[in-house]
Amino acid sequence: MMNLDEIFVTRNWVGKPVRRDEDIRLIKGEGAYVDDLDMDCAHVAFLRSVYAHARITKIDTSKAEALKGVIAVVSGPEVAKQTKPIVARAITQPAIQYVMADKKVRYVGEPLVAVAAEDRYIAEDALELIDVEYEPLPVVVEIEDALKNDSPLIFEEAGSNVLLHDKLEHGNMDAAYQEADLVVKEHFRVHRYSSTPLENWAMIAKHEKGNDSFVVWANDQQPGRSTTNVCNTLGIPNNRFRLIVPDSGGGFGIKLAIWPYIVILCLLAKKVDKPVKWVQTRREHLLGGSHAPDCDVEIELPMKKDGKILGLFIKDIENDGSFVHTAGIYGLIKFATMVGCYDIRATRAELISVVTQKGPTVQNRGVGKPTMIFVLERMMDIAAKKLGLDPVEIRFRNFVQPKQMPYTTPSGEIYESGNYPECLQKALSLSGYNELKKQQMEMRKKGKYIGLGISAGIEPGTSNLGYYYTSRGVPEYMGNAEGAIVSIDYDGNVNVVMGSVDQGQGHATTITQVIADMLDIHPERVSVDSHLDSLVSPFLGHSGAYSNKFNDVDLGAVIMATKKVRDKMVRIASHMLGEETGELQLKNGAVCSSKDEQKSVSFQEIASLAYKKILLLPDGVEPGLKEIAYYKNSMAKRPSRDDFNVQITHSNSVHVVAVEVDMETGEVTFLKYVIVHDCGRQLNPGIVEGMTIGSTVHGIGAALLEEFVYDENGQPLSASFMDYMKPVAGGLPRIELAHMESPCPYTLLGSKAVGEGGAIGSVAAVANAVEDALSPFHVKVVSLPITPQKVVRAVKETKEI
Amino acid sequence: MIPSKFEYFAPASLSEAVSLLSSYQEEAKPLAGGQSLISLLKLRLASLNYLVDLAGIAELNYIREESAGPSGTISIGALTTYAQIKESELLQSKCPLLPQTASVVGDVQVRNRGTLGGSLAHADPAGDMPAAILALKAELKVAGPKGERWIQADDFFLGMMETALSPDEILSEIRVPVLPDHKTIYRKAARRPSDFAMVGIALCLKAGDDQTCEEISIGVTGVTDKPYRAEETEKRLQGKKLEPKIIEEAASAIVQGVDVMENMHASSDFRSHLARVYVSRAIAAACIRS
Repeated sequence: MMNLDEIFVTRNWVGKPVRRDEDIRLIKGEGAYVDDLDMDCAHVAFLRSVYAHARITKIDTSKAEALKGVIAVVSGPEVAKQTKPIVARAITQPAIQYVMADKKVRYVGEPLVAVAAEDRYIAEDALELIDVEYEPLPVVVEIEDALKNDSPLIFEEAGSNVLLHDKLEHGNMDAAYQEADLVVKEHFRVHRYSSTPLENWAMIAKHEKGNDSFVVWANDQQPGRSTTNVCNTLGIPNNRFRLIVPDSGGGFGIKLAIWPYIVILCLLAKKVDKPVKWVQTRREHLLGGSHAPDCDVEIELPMKKDGKILGLFIKDIENDGSFVHTAGIYGLIKFATMVGCYDIRATRAELISVVTQKGPTVQNRGVGKPTMIFVLERMMDIAAKKLGLDPVEIRFRNFVQPKQMPYTTPSGEIYESGNYPECLQKALSLSGYNELKKQQMEMRKKGKYIGLGISAGIEPGTSNLGYYYTSRGVPEYMGNAEGAIVSIDYDGNVNVVMGSVDQGQGHATTITQVIADMLDIHPERVSVDSHLDSLVSPFLGHSGAYSNKFNDVDLGAVIMATKKVRDKMVRIASHMLGEETGELQLKNGAVCSSKDEQKSVSFQEIASLAYKKILLLPDGVEPGLKEIAYYKNSMAKRPSRDDFNVQITHSNSVHVVAVEVDMETGEVTFLKYVIVHDCGRQLNPGIVEGMTIGSTVHGIGAALLEEFVYDENGQPLSASFMDYMKPVAGGLPRIELAHMESPCPYTLLGSKAVGEGGAIGSVAAVANAVEDALSPFHVKVVSLPITPQKVVRAVKETKEI
Repeated sequence: MIPSKFEYFAPASLSEAVSLLSSYQEEAKPLAGGQSLISLLKLRLASLNYLVDLAGIAELNYIREESAGPSGTISIGALTTYAQIKESELLQSKCPLLPQTASVVGDVQVRNRGTLGGSLAHADPAGDMPAAILALKAELKVAGPKGERWIQADDFFLGMMETALSPDEILSEIRVPVLPDHKTIYRKAARRPSDFAMVGIALCLKAGDDQTCEEISIGVTGVTDKPYRAEETEKRLQGKKLEPKIIEEAASAIVQGVDVMENMHASSDFRSHLARVYVSRAIAAACIRS
């Protein structure tokens, strides 16, 4: 963290709950999302596989092509001939998959044929005229099916359905087992769920026939990587591909890998004389948009009788469905912070990614961390029960202590700051935990079952992309960084262009606050363009909105670029005022002498020299007032299997939940929900609050409602919002939120991750509360979601959910 | 929404609508509030050649008392929305079961658009309003090419989204009795407040001062392919004192004779269990209120 006085000349805006600047425009319907872009387009519809696993013996598109209004058709085999296979990020086994199915289909919803027509209705009608002959193959749906010796192979070239199998050990696990008084073991199943942004995927591709290049408008969340992937897959140079990201309606990770569809659109655009547009329907999104993988986790805690945990073993098997690009990444991210908030000195992890016939998986809010904290925080309760300890006490006995900060985990992750015991203490007192416990006992006598759940979670941010080295050799991307361009215009106003993109996080407002305090100008004089244009935006391979990196490297780039502009203005002002730069200060949109504020030149006057009267500039100063900066967080370690960090900042929180469970109907009702959250210095507490609560609600949905269910044939049963159950306002608790601020020493402003956090702690907290409520019936919660049916069945049979 | 192609009609009167339906028969469908049919068209799960939009038929939107007094009735136009039913002071005071049921249908948007007639004619096996209509023993007025006819609620629901309406008929009015001496209640098990019922129980109960069940009717939804009257449960309670044991024994018959549905949210066992719990609780709650 830098001395804030070196960064800011005023402290009027940063840290205040400044109202989001972006909202009015979007709420009034004045946003410009992809579908709003006013272009004369052909419209695209996809024919998708109706089988989970089948060989394609025939695709006849002739009738569709003959339909009036159909402009162009591409089918999987044709696409495969023109493209390279999908690049894999983490898996180590060969698995060849193209952006469209070519020889066989591997999941229901996999694209087979794309049709461009005069309008979407015709395109959809044309799909009904396409004749596809399938030869159905045996289907692999669940993890145990995929692991059978005689399991049908989904990728024959892999020789198995296991595409990644890695083992990592740090610290002395053998010693941990030897010294342990007992080993607490459990086996958990976490289901498949996802975020479902309001705006589904959307894109327009235009082929410039003159120079054989492409312009694409897409709500892409990770333009840095997408640009590379699209160009490599199409086999075109980077300078033939321009990506523009307009407004985007929600991301949560789900728009990080939309690039395979951009490839398809580009191939279609080549055949059409106007841009081609595809706007994904909700059904398409739920079928084959992207999910978080379901997984199977075995966990062991060798521990002492006093509750001290000596080591942690996990065997994590991830059901990654059929999308080789992102398969395998969840396990590694779970692994990175597997010790959670606890001082555990030895870890062993076995990470397995299996391919099945479920839909694609991609990064979803928290990427594995909600699962890891669910598993770990459930284990803390289970271990406490085993040892006759209070769940609060066992956590206090194992927390990393504030004096240990910065704390390095056995594998090399660095927890930079935080006070975990105090965070729990605060949450207990805010929730009236002891009072709730008393109530619980009294209510039980009346036949009412209240449960209390605690969860202490680590919420990492800023991915060090180099961690894929752990399984794949030297990675293509390492570290993390972002770019920003900051300029002062003719009027002395500030304009910002980012390498990153925004899906509704309020980046522009926060950037405005930071610049207003850096330059002492009113936020109204700062404009941030949240859109991206790969031709002009300062993007890197890391560019995008993911892993809560905004508060760190994105703002780092803004600060560095603003400093450059500021220094240049001061240098010009020094020349204009005849004062040494050291004698000058920024004040209210001007640079003035610290001794005599009357001696002052406004930003506008300085800009006038920089842009127009350039002959009056001091020697050696370039015209213009536009600066670019790239900022990297230097805490990212270089790849090594022995010592590496996956994330660079680490927020933390404690959730305390009280629920009542109706034993007859299985319904769970919230009585209390308290969060104490520490994301370092809060830059905009209003935005932090909104993100934390929204994210928490996602976790509550994951714990109780949301699930992608497949039948034994691999047919998805939750392909609409009637069956894929997002939480609705009714039935949700009022969330009470309190904060601690442990500034991060390794980000410029002391800020840390926010956005994923609530989704990480909430799943475990809700599950712990439900199990506590069910404790008179000795029911154990080891799978999700906790549905009324499972609760009633478990109570009846006194067993596991 | 990207449905297949259809021709759209917006008749201004009921007779015009009926004549369109009788010209096109099975190829046409009437559209009321669009809360079910539009979804089916959007997903191309239903396709039709002619859509007859009833929204412009003002004569089908009303709530009025037909005759006052203990044997009075209230008539509700088929295009009356859930929101209008929920807000109706007349219904709140004289037929509270309908506003209570309407208030838990879907969410605010659904209630603002969806109609009572649409819900009944669509006959979703998990719709809320059909249960209430059955419990109230409502009468349904139907307009067809040969004029109008009345159908008893008990005779209206035939199967999965299947009713006694023929393709050229339109449900035009729902007539419910005013039952000042009855307690009514609708209880619904749903994963989320806005969901279709996993089980929905509508109850109409007249109990004597000594808690003897003088008259009872129970409409059940969400359990099988159609909403139904729980006749066996009613029979076991009729004339009996409403004591826990008797209620429990009667509740155990709630799914008697029906083929209980199964889906990802509830197995048939669990659904049967919920139906028993919910009907017991509904009766107990009605007793407390009497």
